Amino acid sequence: MKTTSDNSGDVRLSGISKTYGSFTAVHPLELTVPEGSFFALLGASGCGKTTTLRMIAGLEEPTTGTVRLGDQDVTHLPPYKRPVNTVFQSYALFPHLDIFENVAFGLRRRGIKSVKKQVEDMLELVQLGEQARKKPHQLSGGQQQRVAVARALINHPKVLLLDEPLGALDLKLRRQMQLELKRIQTEVGITFIHVTHDQEEAMTMADTVAVMNGGRVEQLGSPADLYENPQSTFVANFLGTSNLIEAEVDTKNGDDIVLRAGGGKLVLPEARCSAPTTAGGKVLVGIRPEKISLTHADDAGEIPEGRNRLTGKIADASFIGVSTQYVVDSPVCDELAVYVQNVERDGRLVPGADVVLHWSPAHTFGLDAAQSLLAGTVGSAGTEEEVAA
Amino acid sequence: MSTLTEAPPPLAPAEPAKKPPRKRGRFTPYWLLLPGILWLIVFFALPMLYQASTSVQQGSLEEGYKVTWHFATYWDALSAYWPQFLRSVFYAAAATVLCLLLGYPLAYLIAFRAGRWRNLIMILVIAPFFTSFLIRTLAWKTILADNGVVVHTLNSLHVLDLTNWLGWTAGDRVLATPLAVVCGLTYNFLPFMILPLYTSLERIDGRLHEAAGDLYAKPWTTFRKVTFPLSMPGVVSGTLLTFIPAAGDYVNAELLGSTDTRMIGNVIQTQFLRILDYPTAAALSFILMAAILAMVTLYIRRSGTEDLV
Amino acid sequence: MPFVTWLKRHLVVIAGLLTLAYLLLPNVIVTVFSFNKPKGRFNYEWQRFSTDAWKDPCGVADMCGSLSLSLQIAVWATVGATILGTMISFALVRYRFRARGAVNSLIFLPMAMPEVVMAASLLTLFLNMGAQLGFWTILIAHIMFCLSFVVTAVKARVMSMDPRLEEAARDLYAGPVQTFLRVTLPIAAPGIAAGALLSFALSFDDFIITNFNAGSTVTFPMFVWGSAQRGTPVQINVIGTAMFLIAVLFVLTSMVVSNRRNKQKA
Repeated sequence: MKTTSDNSGDVRLSGISKTYGSFTAVHPLELTVPEGSFFALLGASGCGKTTTLRMIAGLEEPTTGTVRLGDQDVTHLPPYKRPVNTVFQSYALFPHLDIFENVAFGLRRRGIKSVKKQVEDMLELVQLGEQARKKPHQLSGGQQQRVAVARALINHPKVLLLDEPLGALDLKLRRQMQLELKRIQTEVGITFIHVTHDQEEAMTMADTVAVMNGGRVEQLGSPADLYENPQSTFVANFLGTSNLIEAEVDTKNGDDIVLRAGGGKLVLPEARCSAPTTAGGKVLVGIRPEKISLTHADDAGEIPEGRNRLTGKIADASFIGVSTQYVVDSPVCDELAVYVQNVERDGRLVPGADVVLHWSPAHTFGLDAAQSLLAGTVGSAGTEEEVAA
Repeated sequence: MSTLTEAPPPLAPAEPAKKPPRKRGRFTPYWLLLPGILWLIVFFALPMLYQASTSVQQGSLEEGYKVTWHFATYWDALSAYWPQFLRSVFYAAAATVLCLLLGYPLAYLIAFRAGRWRNLIMILVIAPFFTSFLIRTLAWKTILADNGVVVHTLNSLHVLDLTNWLGWTAGDRVLATPLAVVCGLTYNFLPFMILPLYTSLERIDGRLHEAAGDLYAKPWTTFRKVTFPLSMPGVVSGTLLTFIPAAGDYVNAELLGSTDTRMIGNVIQTQFLRILDYPTAAALSFILMAAILAMVTLYIRRSGTEDLV
Repeated sequence: MPFVTWLKRHLVVIAGLLTLAYLLLPNVIVTVFSFNKPKGRFNYEWQRFSTDAWKDPCGVADMCGSLSLSLQIAVWATVGATILGTMISFALVRYRFRARGAVNSLIFLPMAMPEVVMAASLLTLFLNMGAQLGFWTILIAHIMFCLSFVVTAVKARVMSMDPRLEEAARDLYAGPVQTFLRVTLPIAAPGIAAGALLSFALSFDDFIITNFNAGSTVTFPMFVWGSAQRGTPVQINVIGTAMFLIAVLFVLTSMVVSNRRNKQKA
C-alpha cells in the first residue's frame, strides 16, 4: 500500500526499560527493527514482551530510554499521536459500534470525511465485505481477528503491533490466520511487530525473532539460527526440545573441542559453543532430539566413525505417526529424547532394549554450564523469577 | 450492591498490561469525587453529627437548645420506648424471614424454571414499583378489610383463632393487628429480597445441578449442598435490604396497624414532626442507627461475606 | 401417584407463582377500585362500577399539582444524582487514590441506613441552618439518597468494561475527550441508564425523607398519605393504575423493539 525508502518505518529502542515499583518488567534494552520486517517478540507470560510492545504503542511510558520511529523520537508522544497501530489481545473491538464503524474509527478521529471507499476496500482485503453492518459479537473469533487487523491497517501505520493476536483462536484457525497475516504483511509491506508466547507461531511467521526472558532479550536472530544454534539453555528449551548433557572440556583439536562425558568423548565445533572453554571447565552439550540416530547395541559396529555416540537403554517409546519418540536413559544423562522418523522401523527398539545414540558433531551445540538446565522448560521455576530477582 | 470493602486494583507484576497505573492526571480522581462526596458529607455525614449533638441538648422551641451533654435523654428515651424498639426488631425480623421464604421460590423460578417467561415475570416483579407504594399499601386495607374475603376465609378455617391465641390478631379482625403490619412490611420489601436472590442464583452454572445429580445428590440435597450455599451472597444482601428499611419503617404500622403496633419509626416521626421534642427524637434515631449498624456489621461478619450490599 | 409426583416436580413453580400473585394482588385491587364509586370519603369498599374518576383524573383539588411537583423533583434528582454518581463511579473504578475505603463507606452507609434516621438528621441540619423547607430541601435530600444507588449501578458496568477498549481508542487517534465520548460513555450507558431509572423511581416514590423535609410543600406520595387520613379519592387509584400500565407498556415496547432490531441484524 505504501512503500517508503527513508527508513521511517524502522523502530529503534535504545536503553528502554520499565519498572513498576521494585519490579523491573523490562531491563534496559537495545533493539532495532528494520522497516518492512516481520519481527516477533517471543517469551513466556511475564517476560516483558507485552510491556515492550506497549511502550512502542505509547500505552506505557518507559522508565528510561527512548523510542524512535525512523528519525523521529516518539518517546513522549501519546498513543493517539503516533503513526503506530495495535491489534490487541482479544481484539478490543468496540462492542457498541458495527464492523464498518469499528474499521472507520481511526479515519474518523483523524477528521477524514469520506471513509466509505477506504473502509470497503479494507474489508475486502480481509474478506469481510458482507459483514460490515454486524456487531462484533455476531462474528466468529477468526472474523473478529480480521476486523481488528483491518481496523489497525486502514490507518496506514508505519508499524503494526500485534499483541498475541491469535491467542484466542483454536489451533486450526490459528494456523490459517498465521498464513493470512503473513500474506497481508507481504502485501502491505509495513513493519509488523508480533508478540507471542507460541514458539511455533513466531518461527512460522517472523523473519527475525527476539526471545525474551525475565525482562531481557536472550537471543535475537532468524528462526533457523535460533533453533539450530541456541546460545542459552532458555532458548534451547523454549524453542523446541533439547537434550542437554553436562560435559568437561578435554582438549582442543583444530576447530573442534573434545569433551568428556561419562566414559565417552563428544566432539563439538568451537564455533557452535557460546561458553568459555578452558581445559577442565564444564560445558553443557546440546543436541536436538531429531538429530539423533538410534541403533540397537548389537549393530553398534555399523555406526560410521566420527560421530558422537552415547550408550543407553530405551525407557519409553511413543508412536505418534510420522515419528516415534523415544526416551532413553544413558549413564551420562537421564531421559534423553530421541525422535526417529518412521521410515524403516527396527522392531528391536522397544523399551528395555540397549541402544547406541549417535549424531553428527556438526549438530552439537555448547552452552555455558553455569545456567539452569531447566530454564525455559514447561513449568520450570527458573524461567522468570530467577532472572527477575 | 456496592462493595463494602474493596481492595485497590492489584498491580500484578506478572501481568502489568492489564491494570496500567495512570500517571497523567494525578488529581483527576479527586476532581471526579469532589462534588458527589461533598454532597454526601454535607447532606449525609454532617447531619448525623448535628443529630448527635442535638441528642445531648436541652431547651425548648421558644428559648432555643443548648448542648448540655445531657445523656439522660438516651436513658429516658430508651426506658420510655423500649417496647417500640423491640417491636420494630421483631416485626422487621418476621418480615425478613417471610420475604426469604416467599421470595426464594420466585427468584428460583425466574432463574431456572421460567424459560421464555423470564423477562415477563421480571417485569411483573418490578412494575408494581411504579405505582406509589402508599397507594399499594392502602390496597391492603381493602384486601384485609373486616368483612372481606380474606378475613372470612381465615375465620371459617379457624386460622384467626390460632393467630388470636398467638397474639398476632385480635377478635375477628386482621387490620390494625401485628399480622397486618408484618404482612404489609413483607409485601413492601419483597422485591428487595427477590432481586439480589435472583442475581446470585442466575450466576450459578446450571451444569452444577447436573454435576450434583450425577454425583448421587437427590434434588433436595442438591439444593441444600450446592444451590443454597452458592446463593448466599444474595441471601445476605437480600436480608439486609429487607431488614434495614423494615426496621425503620413507619408507613405500614401507621396505615395498617393501630396504636398497639407502633414501631420506632412512628415514635421518631411523631416526636420530630408533631411533639417537636428534638433531643428525644434525635436520641431515638441515633440509637436506631447504632443498633442497625451493629447488627449489620455482626451479620456480615458472621456470614463471612464482607464484600456485600 | 402421578399427581403427587407432578406436585413434587412443580412445587417451586407453584410457590413462586403464589408469591408473584401476592406481589400483584394490591395492583389488581388498585386497578379495580379505580372504577369504583364509593359512598363515603374512603375508597376501601366496592360499591358500583363507574368511570367517573378516569374521565376526570385531576378532579381532586391539589392532586395533579402534587403529581407534577413529584415529577419535577424526580427529574432533577435523577439528573443530579446520575451526574454526580457517574463521576464517583469512574473515580472508584479507574483510579487509585487515598481514602478509598472512606469513600466506599460513605457511599455504602446511606443504603444501610433506615430512611427515618436520614430523614430526621437531615431535618436537624436544615433546622440548624435555618433553611426554608420546600422544593430545594426535598431535591437535596433526594439527590443524596439516590447517589449511592447510581454509583452501585454504574460501577458494576464500568468494572466489567475491558480497559483495552479505551487503549484501542487512544491507539486509533482518539484523544482523551474523544475516547471518553466515543467509547467510554457509550459502553457505560446501560449502567448509567439503569442508575438513572432507579433514581427516578426512588425519588418519585419517596415518602419518609420527603415527609420530614418538605415543610408545607406537598408531593404526590405526601398527598396520598394525607388522603389516607382525610379520605381517599378514586383518582389516586387512577394515577396508580396509569403509572403501572405506562411502566409495563414502556418496558414491553422497548423489549419488542430491541428484539426486532437484533433479529434484523442477525
